[in-house]
Amino acid sequence: MLLLQNARIASENSPVLLEGDVLIVEGKIQEIGSSLALPEGARAIDARGRVLMPAMFDAHVHFRAPGFENKETITTGSEAAINGGITGVVMMPNTRPALDSATAVATVLENAKDRARIPVYTSGCVTKNREGKELAEIEGMRELGVKMLTDDGDTTADPAVLLRAMQYATEFGMFFASHCEVPELAGPRALNEGVMSYRLGIKGSPACAEEIIIDRDIRLARAAGAHVHIQHVSSKLGMETIRWWKSRGDVKVTAEVAPHHLLFTDEHIGDYDTNYKMNPPLRTQADCDALLEGLKEGVFDIIATDHAPHTPFEKAQDFISAPNGITGLDTALVSLYHFFVEPGKLGWDLVVKRYSAEPRRLMGLPVPTIEVGQEVNCVLFDTEAETTFTREFMKSKSQNTPFIDQTLKGRVDLVILGTEILLER
Amino acid sequence: MARKDLLDIASLHREEIEFLLDQSTSFKKLFTHSVKKIPALEGKSVLMLFYEASTRTHSSFEVAAKRLSAEVTNFDVAHSSITKGESVRETIETLQAMRTDYIVVRHSHPGLPGMIARQTTASVINAGDGAHEHPTQALLDAFTIKEKFPDPRGKKVLIIGDILHSRVARSTSTLLQKLGVEVAYLGPGSLVPKYVPASIPRFTDYEAAMAWAPDVVYLLRVQMERQDVQFFPSVREYHRVYGITTARLAEIRDKGLYIMHPGPVNRGVELCDAVMDYERSLITNQVENGISIRMAVLDWLTPGGEFPRQESYVAQQQVSSKVIMP
Ligand SMILES: [Zn+2]
Repeated sequence: MLLLQNARIASENSPVLLEGDVLIVEGKIQEIGSSLALPEGARAIDARGRVLMPAMFDAHVHFRAPGFENKETITTGSEAAINGGITGVVMMPNTRPALDSATAVATVLENAKDRARIPVYTSGCVTKNREGKELAEIEGMRELGVKMLTDDGDTTADPAVLLRAMQYATEFGMFFASHCEVPELAGPRALNEGVMSYRLGIKGSPACAEEIIIDRDIRLARAAGAHVHIQHVSSKLGMETIRWWKSRGDVKVTAEVAPHHLLFTDEHIGDYDTNYKMNPPLRTQADCDALLEGLKEGVFDIIATDHAPHTPFEKAQDFISAPNGITGLDTALVSLYHFFVEPGKLGWDLVVKRYSAEPRRLMGLPVPTIEVGQEVNCVLFDTEAETTFTREFMKSKSQNTPFIDQTLKGRVDLVILGTEILLER
Repeated sequence: MARKDLLDIASLHREEIEFLLDQSTSFKKLFTHSVKKIPALEGKSVLMLFYEASTRTHSSFEVAAKRLSAEVTNFDVAHSSITKGESVRETIETLQAMRTDYIVVRHSHPGLPGMIARQTTASVINAGDGAHEHPTQALLDAFTIKEKFPDPRGKKVLIIGDILHSRVARSTSTLLQKLGVEVAYLGPGSLVPKYVPASIPRFTDYEAAMAWAPDVVYLLRVQMERQDVQFFPSVREYHRVYGITTARLAEIRDKGLYIMHPGPVNRGVELCDAVMDYERSLITNQVENGISIRMAVLDWLTPGGEFPRQESYVAQQQVSSKVIMP
């Protein structure tokens, strides 16, 4: 039994935080009220001033297993998630071997059960070995609970292949997540095409390389009657394209935005800092502003990190040679708080909606709330404390993040899932 | 005032540039002596690390180092299997163990010389990194221009050609602007990024560029090796639209304009054969001046530092790699 006293409770439905005591018994919320009596044998936690909210859910993570366990494992990845206040994730299937069959999916899911303290879900490939040619064994993966199909890391290049996959898999209630990029236009995939690419002498990747596929894949989904989910949108026109399609209302489209695309621009790359090398690349302040607008409006249904760990050795190469991607699970919630919630640009209700509730709805999972009778799946967040993202603090096996050794306001103090306290600081 | 490394032009201060150009003048006087060697770098070692072939720059550095009595070693990296970033890091460890004093590096990846500089005590000289910087080329270009225009402020240099892939265009235009020279670009739309700095006017046709009244026409080498992607329809068409044709040479001669080119020249592409005999062509002057500039640079740098991070142009632009408020 656990009594959280005087917490400020956040919900997706309320812009204001409601203060109260929350009594947890056997993994369920038994009572919420003011000045609840401490039952015998119960532990009391003074949560005064701290925000209690449903735990986050990240629908776009790379746990690198199987095949790249030197970058991340299911254990280290899920611990990084817990560290950041996240109690559920969806892995991307660009592993080695790629998760393109029931056998491959079954193996990772079994591993996840043994090695993670939180539920770990996986998406499956659209095509065999992500080659864009033959359809993956879609129905076999569905039987194991796979709902999302994606060749993430790359676009399914041939629109005819994707259209057929959409027509086929929609019959099984599955949906498609699209990594949007025309490779012929994207070039070396390192940096936005703009002032910075000229200055650094790197052939840039223009935003239109992304926007073309955003539009293409929504059109294909419309033609197939499928649901398409647009991943990690980085550009203003990309956001506006999705907004336009959503306003028509004749196609099922959802979309995600990553914290780094809201926070950073290509200028941050500075003197070839590979911690800012990612795909799609960081663009301009105008893009960041538009993405935040899209998040508030609901053009973006969810926030997802695209957590992409790489070893220090790989990232310590020169900018062109270093791989794309940054880690995000340890840092996402605190950075969203520091840069958006604290300055009043985003409310807690929107953070809960976009990073806890909607991602679970997307995956067809129950949505946790802080209400009587609900199973506990929550985070206690200290808005006054600070977090310093030292190497020791991070639980991800890799620490390729711009936040390394930075101190931001906000701290994840407590993560509870059911009867288990996953994290307590 | 001396630095450990020379990685870019953007971070050089005006006084440093003036100093190097002055030093180059002194070194150039040496060329007329019967003994061209001085013992400035005696006992020092210079390692040439050329991941991209370049006879011209390579031999220019080699001659410069030898005239300063340094010992020159070539590190054999011409084989493509070891040109990737990962193996470069292994190479750096080897180099550090060798305790070389100077490393002259050329690589197709921008930023790579800076990466080496941060990990060795040797003085690193960027001899060209991708389409990023080629600082000694810029210095020798400026030196060559100053020989003709001792006070180059207000002079105009028109750079023609492949700006997109050209480190020469970037470094030279940056340096010339620091000296008060006006720079403009002319080239195929596919090879002149629309994001060039606003301080550099961009012309779309030759006549308009000439109407701008340049003092120097600087022709960039057409990268014939980039045949995998077609940036313009044909070499013939390039010559007709952007090249110095016989007719255009007559106009240039009438106006008394200087012609420069970083070499090696594609005859019949950037320029017609007759340009090679044009009395105001500075192409061979550039080659000659390359040696004295590189001597000045080697003499100026101070090896043996504690892996300092060189102040970068980005710091100058007040952009920090630290997290800042969006
Ligand atoms: Zn992706």
